[in-house]
Amino acid sequence: MSYQLTIEPLGETIEVEEGQRVLDACLRAGIWLPYACHHGLCGTCKVQVLDGELEHTADASSFALMDIERSEGKCLACASVLLSDCVIEADIDPEPDAENHAVRDFTARVSRIEVLTPTIKAIFLEAPGGLAFQAGQYLNVDVPGFGDARAFSLASNPRHCHELELNVRHVAGGIATTYLCEQLRVGDAVRCSGPFGRFFIRHSAPEPLLFLAGGSGLSSPKSMILELLERGDERAVMLVYGARCRSELYYAELFETLAAHHAHFTYVPVLSEPATDDAWTGEIGWVHEVAARLFNGRFDGHKAYLCGPPAMIEACVRTLMQGRLFERDIYMEKFLTAADAAQGLARSPLFRRL
Amino acid sequence: MAQPKLSLKEKYQLMTRGLDWETTYQPMDKVFPYDKYEGIKIKNWDKWEDPFRLTMEAYWKYQAEKERKLYAILDSFSQNNGQLNLSDARYMTAIKLWLQGITPLEYYAHRGFAHVGRQFRGAGARVACQMQALDELRHAQTQMHAFSHYNKHFGGFHQANHLRDRAWYLSIPKSFFEDAMGAGPFEFVTSISFAFEYVLTNLLFMPFVSGAAYNGDIATTTFGFSAQSDESRHMTLGIEVVKFVLEQHEDNVPIMQRYIDKWFWRGYRLLALVGTMMDYMLPRKVMSWAEAWGIYWEENGFALFNDLSRYGIRMPKYHEVATKEKMHITHQAWSVFYTACPATGFHTWLPQPYEMDWLSDKYGETFDRFYRPRFELFGQMEKAGNRFFTNRLPLVCQTCQVPDFFTEVDNPMKQSVRHYQWKGMKFNFCSDGCKDIFVNEPEKFCQAYIPPQQIYQGNAGGARTLPEYAAWLRCPMGSEAGDYYSSDDYQNWLKWHGGKDTTPSTAAA
Repeated sequence: MSYQLTIEPLGETIEVEEGQRVLDACLRAGIWLPYACHHGLCGTCKVQVLDGELEHTADASSFALMDIERSEGKCLACASVLLSDCVIEADIDPEPDAENHAVRDFTARVSRIEVLTPTIKAIFLEAPGGLAFQAGQYLNVDVPGFGDARAFSLASNPRHCHELELNVRHVAGGIATTYLCEQLRVGDAVRCSGPFGRFFIRHSAPEPLLFLAGGSGLSSPKSMILELLERGDERAVMLVYGARCRSELYYAELFETLAAHHAHFTYVPVLSEPATDDAWTGEIGWVHEVAARLFNGRFDGHKAYLCGPPAMIEACVRTLMQGRLFERDIYMEKFLTAADAAQGLARSPLFRRL
Repeated sequence: MAQPKLSLKEKYQLMTRGLDWETTYQPMDKVFPYDKYEGIKIKNWDKWEDPFRLTMEAYWKYQAEKERKLYAILDSFSQNNGQLNLSDARYMTAIKLWLQGITPLEYYAHRGFAHVGRQFRGAGARVACQMQALDELRHAQTQMHAFSHYNKHFGGFHQANHLRDRAWYLSIPKSFFEDAMGAGPFEFVTSISFAFEYVLTNLLFMPFVSGAAYNGDIATTTFGFSAQSDESRHMTLGIEVVKFVLEQHEDNVPIMQRYIDKWFWRGYRLLALVGTMMDYMLPRKVMSWAEAWGIYWEENGFALFNDLSRYGIRMPKYHEVATKEKMHITHQAWSVFYTACPATGFHTWLPQPYEMDWLSDKYGETFDRFYRPRFELFGQMEKAGNRFFTNRLPLVCQTCQVPDFFTEVDNPMKQSVRHYQWKGMKFNFCSDGCKDIFVNEPEKFCQAYIPPQQIYQGNAGGARTLPEYAAWLRCPMGSEAGDYYSSDDYQNWLKWHGGKDTTPSTAAA
């Protein structure tokens, strides 16, 4: 038995399991609510119940949530469970640019598979009736014999959504990526759900856009840039993309062609370890270093979109922040493998999204 | 399409807009004379995000209900003679020290926040500080009320204000806050809201409130709960202040780094008193100082500074010294309190056998090699009827005002003393951290009112000896000061328990 929970002012609706705490359900669904102690003592996660019934767990402190607040329909998200479908209002910023596409479960058919690099394949899926999504969002793909669904960012232009593109890097020994890269054939059926995620372009913000991407994290920037250029956006857009060597650099021709046709789009490929026979004359180093050099170490007045492995993201966030661009102007979707999560440093409440 | 809902932030902005108008009768710099001289550059106060958007009406409602609950519990505690259920009367020393040393700080915090709540030209920061000023006044008041019941039954509680003005050891917390209040508004909020209430707050509150719960002190435990929901607002203010200032201008980064270095070290030195309470004054132990430091600083603090490093802020200077010292400082402090208790407003004692074992367990060889022998020697002297008391005033650090009982980080057999010559005067410090703070602001710290010097100069009612000084403190041995086992508190405790000594035999609650 599960309930529907709608979170205002986002207007997002998520599933909450019976007995699951509201805060946990929101955080698991990718909806960030302010919180601190996580066990009913501090009151940081207080939300207003607009509709429906919920119940507090025993650890909800009567000091953190006063009787008058209870009678006004306030609740502590970290110490409450749903008794019916509910609508809550949380203290979070609405996103005017979010399209909030409904999540669908569907079976797609593999229409094409292309080799992008020795380790990355593009898998094209045909979804019956297409799929409405926002550039930057991801799909959950069921992998037979693999417990949890795996998330892959959509690389295709959302304006052409009958064919969905996923870029999958084969992780040696990884069950899911081995299945997708080695076993999957054209014509196979794939169970998917989506779109998910809140990584999308803030079209309403006037600032020029800087995309910093690395490894197989090119999917979202590709989708976003294709859409941006197609809708005739005139703002300056730069993509700095890092790969190890020439053979791992993919979609270079696509972005070179786009840059040639759009004066306001700049493409900067960066190799960290070019092979001797790469005859590489472009940038060498790490994405964050090249970006710092191109921007003279100053990034204020931009919007930055980051996509790539955690170490790259962290290096880029540091470079951007020391170049005076802060949390409110930096957007990202983190790609976390189980190993990344296990190694992750404990985080402080200093940052909400980064 | 339906009109999208306003977020709570937007609603609050609409309600409070216009509170920070540009003045016209007088220039803004004259209306807000203090928020520029520190060199902190604010380009846009609108980027301040109110961490807690609270209206005055809601604030009164919440706090009134909290106080009703707190006072109901305090009443029932006192009507049921709750003091009889304490683990042991030795526990009272922790609460005496709190009332004498920390409660006045709550009041200082009230004054400090009321001051900066007027001085920032950004309305968001002003309102947050004004709300906190009210919280702090309530905390001072409710602490006094929570402890007032003990004044009927134990010594050491009836003259906390008098002691705050006169007692040498209380210049440690007092000088900490006077330093903060004497600083610019940005340094004040960095020191109190960030360094103290955010970085170090768990080290203060956790042992205090848990310690109270472990030792049967329901009154103080309930006060702790009623304050904790305010503390989350204060901590969030601390985070917002630091983020806001760091993001406003790159020139602010080195200034904030200096504030963080300074106030980490000052806060850490102040917490030596709290660590000593955890390890020595709580008959039932919660956790050791070394364990608390490991969790709340080495884990949580490191995570915070890893995040802060994105702004170009590094770990506070001398944090590695603090971590190395965690095995030593509480034993050193208790040795001083044990021997200096005739000139204080509380009682001290030697750790009981179960406590010696607990300390050995928590501090291993460090305790067994350096401190157990000292306490055992003190024990032999007690048995021989010759309890050791210090009869001289200690050398006190010019910055933190803690008696210099600290030792060199890598040599616990050598006292750590630093000196600095400034304008023909020699100043003494307990550590490089405290010396650096002086060197950065000599004009401020050369004025510090150092108790031993002042006593010897005749500024303690003319007292020249420790007994004369104790008389000026109005702390006679037995009722107020001296050894616990010769105290009125202990005699009364035995009487109330039919002559039975209730000293626990184990550290566990």
